[in-house]
Amino acid sequence: MEFKDYYQILGVDPEAETKDIKAAYRKLARKYHPDLNPEAEAEAKFKEVAEAWEVLRDDTRRAEYDELRRYGGRRPSDFEPPPGWRSAAEGETHHFSGDFSDFFNSVFGGGFEEAARARPMRGQDVEIEMPVFLEETLADCSKPVSYRIPVYERGGQRHMDKSLKVTIPAGTMDGERIRVRGQGAPGMGDGPPGDLYLHIRLVPHPLFDVEGRNLTIGVPLTPWEAALGAKVQVPTLSGRINLTIAPGSQSGQRLRIRGKGLVGKLGTGDLYAILKVVMPQNASAEVQALWRELAAKADFDPRAEWEDAS
Amino acid sequence: MKGTLVRVSAAEFCEREGVSHSLVVELVELDIARPVAGEQVQDWVFDDAGARWLQKALRLQRELELDWVATGMLVDLIRERDRLRRENANLQRALARFLDG
Repeated sequence: MEFKDYYQILGVDPEAETKDIKAAYRKLARKYHPDLNPEAEAEAKFKEVAEAWEVLRDDTRRAEYDELRRYGGRRPSDFEPPPGWRSAAEGETHHFSGDFSDFFNSVFGGGFEEAARARPMRGQDVEIEMPVFLEETLADCSKPVSYRIPVYERGGQRHMDKSLKVTIPAGTMDGERIRVRGQGAPGMGDGPPGDLYLHIRLVPHPLFDVEGRNLTIGVPLTPWEAALGAKVQVPTLSGRINLTIAPGSQSGQRLRIRGKGLVGKLGTGDLYAILKVVMPQNASAEVQALWRELAAKADFDPRAEWEDAS
Repeated sequence: MKGTLVRVSAAEFCEREGVSHSLVVELVELDIARPVAGEQVQDWVFDDAGARWLQKALRLQRELELDWVATGMLVDLIRERDRLRRENANLQRALARFLDG
């Protein structure tokens, strides 16, 4: 087991006063707290910093740690507590609610964990990511789920594979969690099993973007469809519909198609068609001649405002 | 197997986090979360997002050693930051669709 140099982690001198250690902790906690810093390594770094503060903030623990540091700091990568080691702080409640390192548990928490294991305990909850297609949210949908649960038996822990079919209720949104009671890890002793949590992730759709309950889709138009108006077929999550484009439509205009968004608790959202005028890439000589004729006849200057402003 | 959207009662939250009902009332007064059902605090029920904001507030208050007003302000700012990030991602995606293809 690796010896943790808590002073080094907080960047303080081993002789530092508690108030200076507290200042160092606060500075690092502000920098690495996972709710404030989204970088992947921030959470691990915060846990390390919080664990160091958990030990050094308490005079009894700090004195014990200093003793161990003198004993174990010589072999930092291959540390074992001295034979018969038992901390006076074992079983105390902790200020920091996250996981602690093996080093912390073996030095300050071992007796507490053993005592806890003998009591009936509720099984662990299990949380897994559940990708869901937009189409699947329109009605209740049954999806297969496979996951692993930890099982504690005499002598240790093993993992067991589990498979279920879970009904995801209609209208489930990205980021929501679905609970399936009793399908987490089995309890210990006579404790009840934990629950399974499915963390819903809506799979990005090749055509539609999601804005709350509403959807958007880009609708490419030819310049003449935009100029003259047209009827175009637009895909929705439940089949195609006809959309009327008014004459003189502009790129970027949003047309609302009621009731073709996502299903929700407060009603179904809408689909917004965003118009996008697209120029043809390769024009024949005949088409070019027609564009030239149009240029000569159309009385239109899209930069007229520049003349007024300059 | 029927899945249900996560709902957390105030009693369940208090037991899980080891906090009092009066603290939950204080967190609601700070607008950290709003119950989705229940008149009295004993009957309050939070949706999953609300319960997670309450939990996040407790964690920030403990781990950064803040007072509750500062915690409320910090939660407001984190929520606003998350909303702007989501909105920015949506706008970037819409812009990319508009400019490409």
